[in-house]
Amino acid sequence: MALTWRAVALAALGVVAVLVVPSYGTVLVWALVVALLCALDVTLAASPRRVAVERRVPGSVRLTGRATSQLVVTNLTGRRLRAVVRDAWAPSAGPQVNRHPVDLPPGESARLTTVLVPTRRGDRLADKVTIRAAGPLGLAARQVSLDVPGRLRVLPEFASRRHLPSRLARLREMDGRAAVQVRGEGTEFDSLREYVIGDDVRSIDWRASARRADMVVRTWRPERDRRVLIVLDTSRTSAARIGDEPRLDASIEAALLLSALAGRAGDRVELFAYDRGVRARVAGAAGPRLMPALADALAPIEPALLETDWPGLVGSVHQRLSQRALVVLLTTLDPAAVETGLLPVVGQLTSKHQVVVASVADPEVAALRAARDSSADVYDAAAAARVELERTAVRTVLSQKGVEVVEGLPEELAPRLADTYLALKAAGRL
Amino acid sequence: MTTGLAAPPPPVSAPDASSSAVTTAYVPAPVIGDGTTAGSRARRRWRAVRWPLAVLLLVAIVAGLAALSRPAVSSTPLAPDNPGPYGARALAQVLGDQGVEVAYVTTTADAVSRALAGTTLLVTSDLDLLPEQIDALLETEADLVLVEPGYDLLEGATGGTATLADDWSSPDATRAPECSDPDAVAAGAIRSTGFGLTATGPGSLVCFPGDDSPPDTGAYLVHEGERRVVALDDGTLLTNASITEDGNAALALRSLGRHETLTWFVPSLTDATISEDVGAGTGTLPPWVSVVLVQLLVVAFFAALWRGRRLGRLVTEDLPVVVRASETTRGRGRLYRRSRSRGHAAAGLRAHSADRMAARLGLPRSAAAPALIDAIVRATHRPAEQVAHLLYGPPPADDAALLELARHLDQLESEVFHP
Repeated sequence: MALTWRAVALAALGVVAVLVVPSYGTVLVWALVVALLCALDVTLAASPRRVAVERRVPGSVRLTGRATSQLVVTNLTGRRLRAVVRDAWAPSAGPQVNRHPVDLPPGESARLTTVLVPTRRGDRLADKVTIRAAGPLGLAARQVSLDVPGRLRVLPEFASRRHLPSRLARLREMDGRAAVQVRGEGTEFDSLREYVIGDDVRSIDWRASARRADMVVRTWRPERDRRVLIVLDTSRTSAARIGDEPRLDASIEAALLLSALAGRAGDRVELFAYDRGVRARVAGAAGPRLMPALADALAPIEPALLETDWPGLVGSVHQRLSQRALVVLLTTLDPAAVETGLLPVVGQLTSKHQVVVASVADPEVAALRAARDSSADVYDAAAAARVELERTAVRTVLSQKGVEVVEGLPEELAPRLADTYLALKAAGRL
Repeated sequence: MTTGLAAPPPPVSAPDASSSAVTTAYVPAPVIGDGTTAGSRARRRWRAVRWPLAVLLLVAIVAGLAALSRPAVSSTPLAPDNPGPYGARALAQVLGDQGVEVAYVTTTADAVSRALAGTTLLVTSDLDLLPEQIDALLETEADLVLVEPGYDLLEGATGGTATLADDWSSPDATRAPECSDPDAVAAGAIRSTGFGLTATGPGSLVCFPGDDSPPDTGAYLVHEGERRVVALDDGTLLTNASITEDGNAALALRSLGRHETLTWFVPSLTDATISEDVGAGTGTLPPWVSVVLVQLLVVAFFAALWRGRRLGRLVTEDLPVVVRASETTRGRGRLYRRSRSRGHAAAGLRAHSADRMAARLGLPRSAAAPALIDAIVRATHRPAEQVAHLLYGPPPADDAALLELARHLDQLESEVFHP
């Protein structure tokens, strides 16, 4: 039961009646008439509980993309349905206009479309669908809220994919397959081809040249079919906000760019997210199935307010990998967290694998360090300088243990990690 | 055999499933209704409201019984509904039993409208009355009984033939009527603590003089003119506590019971009305205004119902962590500031600058201070003492010196980085 503005307007018309016959009886009679008309209108309204509602939602959408939630409303009553339908979604699902007027004769259906522009990664759930069916006079309405389940999976934005073409071009240069005549780097023998002027004479294969009239050079290419294992740290340190999003989101961007690049380079990419247990895992996906699988697995990951179980994480890595591989740890360089967690166990990883530790740097700390406006700012700047010194120390200790350390601002981390990967590949250190 | 001109691979497509919204993950069966019936909803509402409703009903019943079990009483002195020692309910009830219709009024307007010719108007003390209200009372045609009247009321009612006295007679002595008024004679004797009433002209008769009262002064005064005016200088005669003493009852009953109708007026400070036509407050507004105001209240009630019902509930959002990663750094800065540890702060700034400049100048992190100073002097052509003082000098003495140090370090760094 709900009133409309018309009921209020009808009550307000009573002022005229009261002016004509100024007595308290007029007031009472008018109020009773309005109440009776509203009650009559409610009884004549179509029952919103006899309306069939069906929801159609796309399975997933990329962050900042647009999706549409469709409601098919069917009037099963014998009366005309004049109603307002509200398709409620959580604010972060970004519903644009979610109140739809409906006017349906008995037995007919209408399709109501709500445009969703999600603002946060993860599974966004639909809330209740509310139907407010007004009576023929439009004075009062019957209202019901229905549970019509719906879920929209918002995939990571993958804004770092704009860095992919340039990195792929460099990969092709390394591969020796680029249009430009650059002999491939790497250590894996690829093929023999005719010598052209400009080739390094040291790569001439004399034995092959002796067998035929032309000079023949050996070409090399980077190793293929190496294993790349990306480990996302989803513990409490990944929950801290950097800029406008959690640290985890920047890590996911970096993981996606690296996976796309390594997948194109022919390496086998695996990923798992870990805090005190495996939160998500992608393994065995390759080629065109890799990126959708990654995006789908990474979409619902949320930071857990727990401390990372580093020995367990190392155990999981050893369990997954039997041969040498590139292990990329997307975590933090927070000195306290690294000293108590990562440092004691990183030796077990570096002894067998090439380890890269990638961490998101905080632009606010840099801004704090540069602030000189007042004496209070200088104390903050001193604190920021201390923090950076400690991070440098941590980087140095990790480098001494054979770990490649990559650090960058949220938007820089992904390309830097990709560059590190390319450099390692070019150096044959995978 | 060349492999160098292979076609570039197709660009990797982003993880994107929204390009065509055909992948419908959720197509469940249509939802019809919320699983309730009119009966179940009514039961649920009844279960929700029954206990509050029961409590409200109980309170209403108890309050109603309490109100019904006791007649309305007041604590106003000399009021006919006051059963206390200073009230006058005994007198009013006896008058009622004798067939006198007692109307208790508290406003001048009511008193004036009821005080017609052939009725009695009792006015208990005119201290709270405005001059206009006294004039309005005097213009009535009813017989007046004035208890402890003031100058204006007494002189106005008796046509200037009576006034207040200043009689300090002994209050405990019984007084005889010593006059010819039948009521006074019937009463026989009274006691009075009042200041006395004096007749100053013909037409006024004074009774019950004190032992040493001035001439023509007593506790009781009768003025026979266009109407009968009786004045009493002491209201305690009428109270429940003393109505049975001496001749109080006879005097009061005879004075007040002269006509069938008695208007019992107890003035109050809150009353500003004069007559029904000319009242203060609502009198200046047209009569329909209050009705329209009530109608507007009804409209506001309907508007509240209209706006009060939401179109479905509010949707909650589970928010991510809002703490910024730089909070720990800021906290550390505040700790430095609160403990005034300028030495720590300066050391941090110097170490960071030295670290950056060493890296820029190609020195290892473990380079000794003299080597770093030498390198910086070569890069910036500054005096060695100045550089040494900046990087390894004593801690600053105050906040201003710390700020100065930070700015000098910035300048030195900029010279090293952009020579």
